[in-house]
Amino acid sequence: MRYGMVIDLKRCSGCKTCSVVCKVANNIPNDIIWNRVLTEGGNAPDTAGGTWDNPEMQHWPVACQHCENPACTKVCPVGATWKDEQTGIVRQDYDKCIGCRMCLAACPYTGVRSFNWEEPAYYADFALGDADAAKHEKHTVEKCIFCTQRVARGEQPACVADCIGRARHFGDLDDPNSEVSKLLASREYTQLHAEFGTKPSVYYLV
Amino acid sequence: MNDAKGSAASHRGLTVGIIACAVVAVIGVALWMVQLSGGMIQTGMRNLDSWGFYITLFMFFVGLSAGGLIISSIPNAFGMKGFGDISRVAIWTSICCTCVAIGFVVVDLGGPLRLWELFVYSNLSSPLMWDIIVLSTYLILSIVYLWAYRREDAGKMSHTAIRVISIIALVVAVGVHTVTAWIFSLSAAHEFWHTALMGPWFVASALDCGTALVLIVVIALQKAGRLTIERSSMVNLAKMLAVFTCVDLYFFACDLLTSGFPGGEGANVVAMLVTGPLAPFFWTQIACMVLACVILFVPRLRTKGGVVLASALVIAGVFCKRCEILVGGFQIPNIEFADVANHMTITNWESGMSLFGYQGLVYWPTPLEFGVALGVVALGGFLLLLGLKYLPLHLTEKTA
Repeated sequence: MRYGMVIDLKRCSGCKTCSVVCKVANNIPNDIIWNRVLTEGGNAPDTAGGTWDNPEMQHWPVACQHCENPACTKVCPVGATWKDEQTGIVRQDYDKCIGCRMCLAACPYTGVRSFNWEEPAYYADFALGDADAAKHEKHTVEKCIFCTQRVARGEQPACVADCIGRARHFGDLDDPNSEVSKLLASREYTQLHAEFGTKPSVYYLV
Repeated sequence: MNDAKGSAASHRGLTVGIIACAVVAVIGVALWMVQLSGGMIQTGMRNLDSWGFYITLFMFFVGLSAGGLIISSIPNAFGMKGFGDISRVAIWTSICCTCVAIGFVVVDLGGPLRLWELFVYSNLSSPLMWDIIVLSTYLILSIVYLWAYRREDAGKMSHTAIRVISIIALVVAVGVHTVTAWIFSLSAAHEFWHTALMGPWFVASALDCGTALVLIVVIALQKAGRLTIERSSMVNLAKMLAVFTCVDLYFFACDLLTSGFPGGEGANVVAMLVTGPLAPFFWTQIACMVLACVILFVPRLRTKGGVVLASALVIAGVFCKRCEILVGGFQIPNIEFADVANHMTITNWESGMSLFGYQGLVYWPTPLEFGVALGVVALGGFLLLLGLKYLPLHLTEKTA
């Protein structure tokens, strides 16, 4: 089994609901965003590039690519980030991370990994989201974990369940009858930086 | 030079130096505690430029250390006429530099209290793990090496044994710097780092800055009347330094041409170094190294003062190179899409837009980082001077 995500770029409106629900579901500390919605176009978020009569803009939701051949797990000296062979999900153990940031340097997908540069702070006085979301720790690395806690219960990751444009799909890439496999069979797709040989499990329908 | 008065003065100078280094080191430890308790948000490092001054200095000191040991081991290992009695001083300098290098890894860690995990959960596929293994082997070996010399002095060890140890030390010293290069070059994520030349290039840099450090220490000790070295030995070392520096520059030229020529992503790396945000470091390095070579190759300029100046220039040049390698790795993002930035994202986040953080240098250290770094270096200085004072490094006996 290899869980993967298929994101339909044609349906993504750049609303950033996925970023917000991801933060809530995993009770992510202030100023850390696992799932970012990037803008291809202008220099600033949500601005177009190109020319005035032919503006170009595309939103790209980018989080951990849960690679089949991850660069991060190889370099972690203590195995705090590791690939779960049962599910294909690249996991992160906060209570094991020594904070060396080898994984941040090794990951080719600039910015998907975050370090808690200070004691995690929260806007709410109480924990949000899933009761079984892992507790965040100062000076450790964290990233998207495909909502492992939800997937274990048979649910969809928060970003997939709550995407208002139904642009996100999640499922088993090894199963030819899964929704994700069917989408990949029927549509043209691309992957982020396939040239690095990391074999990401996140596909973008174009 | 070697009269009682001069020695007493140098003796007093050493004591003052030891105390000064100890004070700075204690202040450094206090600042490190500030960094740990208040969070590493107080450093200039951020998610998009996640290593900084500490790792730069880590590379730099591993280089100094490996180079020093290689220089002192080559004559032994190949049974050549050595450079006088400088081996012991060079080994001790190496040991101190290794301690400083290890210190820089420790202050860079988010969770130093979890260091024990390295030995319990060792992931042997991690280049950082390899580096920790070779670095500790290297440290232990250097200490054994020094101890072997002591045994030889006491007539309890044959010179053959020293020679065997020196050969092993030579191999491990080359290894230690190659593995440090691999921490960077084995990651395909950064165009500038991902080159097979990184290993040999690091060894070349280690050789030139290590030789330069040994030369400075030896000339300083000679000036203080604690060591006698023949003029010919010094000239040989100086010539070697010049050759190593040329090799370093040659490797850099090869790498720049190979990156830039196809005109792809590698051309951005060349542009970043030659005309981009890292140009000040790049051109300072080139200027320092070329000037040093001129001084070292022209016999008339090869005076004691000239050699010290050239050595300092080489060390400065290699330091600039370390900065280029570290910051240069983060200066070019792989995903150049616009995003919001906050105080966790990138050093220059104030505009609120991540791409704007790349406009100048992507990273610059904070005063706290300078303070902690100064403390770690002072710890090394403390060890070095303590050794010069108390260890049997074959220095001229103090009179009175």
